Amino acid sequence: MAETEPVIKPKPRPIIRIGLFLISHSLLVSVVCCTAGIVALLLLPVLAKNTYVSENALMPGSARPMLTNDDASDGHKFLNRILNLDSKPINTGIEIPEVIAEHMMELGGEVSYHKFQPISNKFHPLHFFLGPDAGIIKENYSCSSYGINTVGIIRAPRGDGKEAIVMVTPYNSVRITMGEALSLGIAYSVFSLLSRVTWLAKDIIWLAADSKHGEYAAVAAWLRDYNTLSFGDLMLYQEMCDASTSPVHEMIQVKGDVISNGFRRAGTMAAALVIKVADSSPEFGNDVLNIYAEASNGQMPNLDLINIVNYLAVHGQGLQVRVEKIWSLLDSLWLNSLGKLLELLGTVVKSLNPQWKFGIPVSDYVEGCATLASSLYNQALGVPTGPHGAFRDYQVDAITMELSPTLFSSSQRVLFLLRVGRLVEGVIRSVNNLLEKFHQSFFLYLLTSPSRFASVGVYMIAFALLISPLPLVAAALFSDASKLKTAKDEIPFKPAPLGEPVPIFTSWKWLYAAKSVLAVHLWGAIVTLLPYFLSQIPNSSPSINLLIWIVLSLLSLFFAYAVSGSFSFSSTNQPQINEWALLKSVTVAAAFIGLCLMSVINFATAEIGALLLVPMCLTVVPLRLDVKVSTMRAFLRGVCNVLLVFVGFPPAAFLLLKGAIDGFDSVTFGDFWVWAESLWAWNSATYIYICMIHLPCWVLCIHTIFHRC
Amino acid sequence: MEEENKIGSQIKKLGFWKWAVASIIFRLVLSYFSENLNLSTRPEVSTPLTSLRRLAEGYWLKQLSMSPYSGSMYHGSPLLLSVLGPLTVKNIIVEYQLFGYSLVSVIADFISAVLIRATGRSLVAAHGHNLKSLGLDKLFKDIVEILPSGDIAGLVYLWNPFTIVSSIGFNTSPIENLFVIVSLYGASAGLIPLAAFGWVMASHLFLYPLVLFIPVIFLLGYGLDGPPRKLFVQSILRGEERPADHVELNSLTNKPIKTTFSWRRVILFFLWTSIWISYVLVLCAIFMREYGGLGEMFKRTYGFVLSVEDLSPNIGVLWYFFAEVFDFFRNFFLIVFHVNILFMILPLAIRLNHRPCFLVFVYLAISSMLKSYPSVGDSALYLSLLVLFLNELAEMQFSFFLFCGYVGVSLLSPVMHNIWIWRGTGNANFYFATAMAYACFQIILVVESVSAMLNYDRKIKKLCNIPKV
Repeated sequence: MAETEPVIKPKPRPIIRIGLFLISHSLLVSVVCCTAGIVALLLLPVLAKNTYVSENALMPGSARPMLTNDDASDGHKFLNRILNLDSKPINTGIEIPEVIAEHMMELGGEVSYHKFQPISNKFHPLHFFLGPDAGIIKENYSCSSYGINTVGIIRAPRGDGKEAIVMVTPYNSVRITMGEALSLGIAYSVFSLLSRVTWLAKDIIWLAADSKHGEYAAVAAWLRDYNTLSFGDLMLYQEMCDASTSPVHEMIQVKGDVISNGFRRAGTMAAALVIKVADSSPEFGNDVLNIYAEASNGQMPNLDLINIVNYLAVHGQGLQVRVEKIWSLLDSLWLNSLGKLLELLGTVVKSLNPQWKFGIPVSDYVEGCATLASSLYNQALGVPTGPHGAFRDYQVDAITMELSPTLFSSSQRVLFLLRVGRLVEGVIRSVNNLLEKFHQSFFLYLLTSPSRFASVGVYMIAFALLISPLPLVAAALFSDASKLKTAKDEIPFKPAPLGEPVPIFTSWKWLYAAKSVLAVHLWGAIVTLLPYFLSQIPNSSPSINLLIWIVLSLLSLFFAYAVSGSFSFSSTNQPQINEWALLKSVTVAAAFIGLCLMSVINFATAEIGALLLVPMCLTVVPLRLDVKVSTMRAFLRGVCNVLLVFVGFPPAAFLLLKGAIDGFDSVTFGDFWVWAESLWAWNSATYIYICMIHLPCWVLCIHTIFHRC
Repeated sequence: MEEENKIGSQIKKLGFWKWAVASIIFRLVLSYFSENLNLSTRPEVSTPLTSLRRLAEGYWLKQLSMSPYSGSMYHGSPLLLSVLGPLTVKNIIVEYQLFGYSLVSVIADFISAVLIRATGRSLVAAHGHNLKSLGLDKLFKDIVEILPSGDIAGLVYLWNPFTIVSSIGFNTSPIENLFVIVSLYGASAGLIPLAAFGWVMASHLFLYPLVLFIPVIFLLGYGLDGPPRKLFVQSILRGEERPADHVELNSLTNKPIKTTFSWRRVILFFLWTSIWISYVLVLCAIFMREYGGLGEMFKRTYGFVLSVEDLSPNIGVLWYFFAEVFDFFRNFFLIVFHVNILFMILPLAIRLNHRPCFLVFVYLAISSMLKSYPSVGDSALYLSLLVLFLNELAEMQFSFFLFCGYVGVSLLSPVMHNIWIWRGTGNANFYFATAMAYACFQIILVVESVSAMLNYDRKIKKLCNIPKV
């Protein structure tokens, strides 16, 4: 038939023709795109923009600070009292909340205690998809493990009680340090000022969080009770734990009408500031303010909050503002030389046209890169960097301000209290001006310095370039694999010669490959759930746990292979020539879907994952093919594949990265288990990504490499 | 060929019943955890029309002798209320509250699968029969073994994640699907009362299956799917020219292929339909006697569907559009959107009149795309109907692309919803983007499957016109 009537193929539509063109040049396109993606990532510090306050209503620094020396010295007195209390030998840890509550009350605030039990970190990896409160089960705790948060609220004279601003000062009630006492002092001086001012439109909540069980747990417990229909645990457990709560109990009886034993609430929270003072002093003479902003799953507070803190700290109080960076990157040679190259490029561009502003100094570039890397890593981990992370789960913008003071004498302390108090006052005054919740500025950004950021529109380009080869290569492989068959299929309506299998269902052939990919991804789900059982084993070291995890995963993988093999429709004893191509095509498509999905959930994870996964998925070819050809190019390709696959294994990648940053002698085998444990304990989506997307794709790549063909 | 034979034998060996029972057990296990999975609150799974929580509310109102439609909570049929309502309250026999209903939906799914299988078997038989009567069976037998598409379609229906999710997600779409399939099965098996019953119930409960009227009539009038009818006429003529061939043909075919429209069955169908309609309406009227009569029911059920009153997000495209559109234009666009479905009915009916079952698939896919409150249960239905035509659609293009698209969209949609509702970093556009992508994939699916089907017809036509050696 084909000979008698040549089939006239209609000219395809332009969009399909563009697609076909790209597919036919997929190698070139993918090399160009991947390189461009990595270059764009390295250019981010150059492309980053200066921050600006986007919301007009904030008006930072427009009002004169009202915090006086008197407030600061009051705060200092309060601080001394707490420190003296701590030095007394008969300390049970109950007195500090009492003292704080007393002072709050003297200032005219409403005070309540919040008693909480730490919720042990459990394995619930699906937490991300179910709102914030799912899956929390109350357990029996011993009474001595209670933490007591002290909450003071100033009702706004001009507000309607619908909105609130939160100040959090975590302290350890068992052993309070100088820094924690200082943060309490700061909060006290601000609180004393705010109880007098007339301009408040939002209630002020001061949460003195008991960090006996960790800062995050205390804040998270309070927020959970604040946002659910709870009336305070104090009432509930009073009978149960009478003995241990007696001091608080007495106090309630004495001042019953003032201190509520119920749970006090103000309105919805507009913003929250966590104030911490570090004990170690910085190396420079100036006070340093560290800003921590990353919450769970790479969520960030609105950029405006960071902007006003940065603006007021730098321009108002002359503090040095920093965000976290990876210090070891600062001395790296290649980054410095890259910076020099970019600076050179910038000067060349400037000499061509003075209007073009491109290029930044080397030191700026290197510092930007270090900050960017830290920002990416912290977001990718999905573990909050401080107690502020608990607020983001309730859509409240929050940051942690960690101050490193240089102080020795008490007069310097008062001065420090004054400066930081004014900063906090300024931030609260700005937020107080807000009419709506933060919405003007960005939620999705990466910081390259406290005052520079790369927004989602910029950093998405790097990611999009990096993953755009994936669908192309999948399509190219797929169409090649199908073409080979259709070439055979040209004579379908003549009786087939004996012995030669005539394939049909050419367009459905991928189903077999899809089936094995699906089986491997299901296996990934099993691997994800295995640590749930492993973590129940008592007294086992991380390395043993990791070993058991790996062995069990391998066993289940073989089981999955056996099961999928027994249902396999294609005859496995005579593998098809391009079976691996189809498999690779489906794998690449699965990796693409997974990375796209992850980029929406947590961009940083997807970016780092793409850096590992994309080259591995793109280059992988069966080793036998390379061996058969045995040219230099094939040999190089094989070596490259093996290397990439080695690096692509999550534990290997983690240990290599850790070794590169911290030095290889400190790395042990069990570190990966500890790391993974922290991921699932914090409900990080990164854990799910690693086990259900990255690992299956890696296994499939291994499968392709060792494919018989 | 050997390989394909192996496939066929393996599928036969695979066993429909084994896998069907496995899927039922799987569902029962999942329904035990359904409280934790919380699927009934997902917008992808339950819509204002199909949500069982709303049905429970309506039943509760009815128990208080108030109109079940008061408060704009319930919008389904009163019949559903009286049948399923008792299952939504706590009773003594089953401790677990909604277990009764999950059992009902599992049974509905199972019956649907069995009926799909039966339909598929008759389709495959018709396929082979048609090929034989065209004299093409020898050509095809060398190359292609006809797959038991009915078994595969039934299993695809049972194991489709969409079906599973909608089956344990406490909504009434398994029942809707069951009635549609009952009607299809009745029409393909020639059971006219059953076909009429299924069609009337499906259209009464969920309105959109109204459009299935045309394919059901074709099914009854012309019989099951086959190549274009003029080919038979030609082949008979050619057969007469070549007597030897003709004899062979006659010996092979048991009965002559019907090329005429059988009016008797269609009239019977009309008769039965009117009987069932009046029956259903009488029942509804009795139910609604105290709550405002049939008019109220029509307004609260069909009116609610047609005027798109509930704009809460779902996987369709209408909610976003009608949330954005000015009130002034609302009526105009309502008409435009609904007429969109109706516009496609006639051309498709003319072009595909020889393949009524396939027409059912096309209509269902189009209406699930343009419907006011779609859910994943709708796609579960049309996807398994698509598999019925496995033999004809073997050359379908973009199948891999579509598969990836469906997987990607169904994973992305909950994430976008989470980002919009829980995290607050996204907005409605994020979620709507996935809804648009989903609609696009559905369009591509319909376009590609229809063109593959037409290509298949062309191929058969060409083969018929080749003078046989």
